[in-house]
Amino acid sequence: MSKCRIPLGPFHPLLEEAEFFDIKVEGEKVVDIEMETGWMHRGHEKISETRSYTQSIFLVERICGICSTSHPFAAVHAMEDIDNVEIPERAQYIRIFIGEMERIHSHLLWLGLAGHFIGYDTLWMWTWKYREPVLQIFEKVSGNRNHYAMFRVGGVGRDFDNALIPEIHPVLDMLEKKMLMLAGAVKDDPVLWSRLKGVGVLTKEDAINYCANGPTARASGVDIDVRRDDGLEYDLINFDVIVLPNGDVYDKLVLRVLEIIESVKIARQCLDAFPKVGGEYLNKVKHISPGEGIGRYEAPRGEVFHYIRSDGSNRPLRHKVRAPSFSNIPTYKASCVGIPLADALITLAAVDPCYCCTERSIRVIDEDNKKLEHNLLTMSREKTANLKKVVAGSEKTPIDRIFED
Amino acid sequence: MSDKSTEFFEKFQDKIAKIIKKPKRIYFNIKNEDLREISDYLFNTMGCRLSICTATEVYDGLEVLYHFSDDTTGIYYNPRVKTGLENPEINSITPLIEGANWIEREMYDLFGIKFKGHPDLKKLLTINNPHFSEDDHPMRFNRNRTKEK
Repeated sequence: MSKCRIPLGPFHPLLEEAEFFDIKVEGEKVVDIEMETGWMHRGHEKISETRSYTQSIFLVERICGICSTSHPFAAVHAMEDIDNVEIPERAQYIRIFIGEMERIHSHLLWLGLAGHFIGYDTLWMWTWKYREPVLQIFEKVSGNRNHYAMFRVGGVGRDFDNALIPEIHPVLDMLEKKMLMLAGAVKDDPVLWSRLKGVGVLTKEDAINYCANGPTARASGVDIDVRRDDGLEYDLINFDVIVLPNGDVYDKLVLRVLEIIESVKIARQCLDAFPKVGGEYLNKVKHISPGEGIGRYEAPRGEVFHYIRSDGSNRPLRHKVRAPSFSNIPTYKASCVGIPLADALITLAAVDPCYCCTERSIRVIDEDNKKLEHNLLTMSREKTANLKKVVAGSEKTPIDRIFED
Repeated sequence: MSDKSTEFFEKFQDKIAKIIKKPKRIYFNIKNEDLREISDYLFNTMGCRLSICTATEVYDGLEVLYHFSDDTTGIYYNPRVKTGLENPEINSITPLIEGANWIEREMYDLFGIKFKGHPDLKKLLTINNPHFSEDDHPMRFNRNRTKEK
C-alpha cells in the first residue's frame, strides 16, 4: 500500500501553540510522524534578560495561560536557590494551595477536552461545570480567574484571607464527590474502555529514553514527581504520587482523575493549616547575589524547569525556561506510530499540550487529484458512535444509570 | 551527599574540575571529549533523567550546562562544557539519549553550536521564520543579522 502524507497544522485542532505534524499513513495506520515547532516562539528567555527579577516573574506567568502559576513557581525557586532564601511558613502553604487549585482546574480542562475529542460530550460539559467554581475561588483569593500574580522572591505578594475558608470547603467536597463518581464511571463505561484502552501506548523504556515527565511519564510507570523529589514547600504536606503501569490514553485519563482527588486532599490540608499558621507571608529579598540557581515545579503537565544565572545586578544574566511539553511532545514519535489515524487525535491530546479552540479540517489529495476533506474530530467521533452501537447496543451506560438514580 | 554521588565523583575525579556543591545541586566542569562517557554513566548507570541543557554566551566563549536530575534523591548533576566563540562545536549526546534531540537542535538554532554526531541537526524554533536566515543565531551577542528585504 502506498504511503500518504497528512499535514496537520501549523494551526492544529488541539494545540494552543501552533505546531506542525507531518503524519505519514498507510491506509488508516500511522507509520511515521514528524513535528515542527517555532510558530509560537516569542523569545521569553531573551526578554527576561532585559527585565528586573520581579518583572521576570510576571513575564514568565504569561508563558502559559492555563498553568500560569507553575512558571512563576519555578522561577522564584530558581531565584531563591541562588541565595537559599528562607520562606515564611504561611507563604509556603499559600503557594501550595494556589499550585494545587491550578492543577485541579487544568486537569478538569483536559478531561473535558479529552471527552470532547472522542465524542463524549457529557464528560466535557460536566467537567467544565465543575471547573467553574474553582476559577471563582481563584477570583476571591487573588482577584483574578487566571494569572494570579501571587509569587514573589521570598514568599507571596498577597495574603490569604482566612474568612474564605468556609466558602472553599464545600467546593472541595463537591469536587471530591464528583471525581469519585467520574472515576467510577470511567472504570465501568464500556465505550470509554474500548475507545481508550491500549491506545497510544508509551512504554516505560520509551518514556525514560525520551526523558518524559509529569503525568505522561507517571502513566507509563515512571515514578517521578518534582513535588516529592525536590521537597521544599511540599515537605509540609502528606500526599501520594500516583503511578500507573500501562502508558495508554486510558491510564493517562485515570491518572488525572486520581490526581485531582489527591490535589483536593492537599488543598484541604492547606485550609486546615491557614488558621494555625499566622505571621509574615513575604520575606523581603533586597538583592540576589552572583551565582546560578535551578528551580523546578511539578506543573499539571509535568516538570517546569528554570535556570537563572545572576551577576549581582537586578537582572538575570541568563534565564533558561523549559516547559514540560518540550520533553513530552517528542514522545509522539514513540506513541503514535502503528495506531489508526482516528486514534492519533486523542493520543496527541493525551500528553496535554496547551489547547486552542481552533478547529481545522485536513485536506488530502487522492490519486485523481480530487480533494478529499475529512475532519479529524468527526472521524474520531464517528468511531466512538460506532463503538457505542457495537458495545452498548440498546443498553444504558453507567452514566445514564446514575442520572436515573 | 549520597553513595551514588560519591562513587561518581571518585570514578571521574581526573576528568572533573571546579566542583561547586550546593544543597541538591552540583555543578562541575568537564571536557568535550569526556562528555559522552560521563553522560552515559549518569543516564544509564545512575538512572538520571536529562532535564534540559542551557547554553550561555560568556565573555570567553560559549558554555553548555547539562542538567541531569537524579529523581530518587532530588540531586541535580550539572556538567559544564566550554567551547570557543568561533565555530563552536560539541559532541552530541542524542545517540545515547533520545531526549536530547530537541534541545540540541534548539541550542544550534539560538547559539549556533554544532553538535557533532547529531542525526538530524537543523533549526528547531526559527526554522520557519523568514526573519532568520540559516546562519542567524538570535541569542548570540554579535549575531549575523538577517537583512530586511
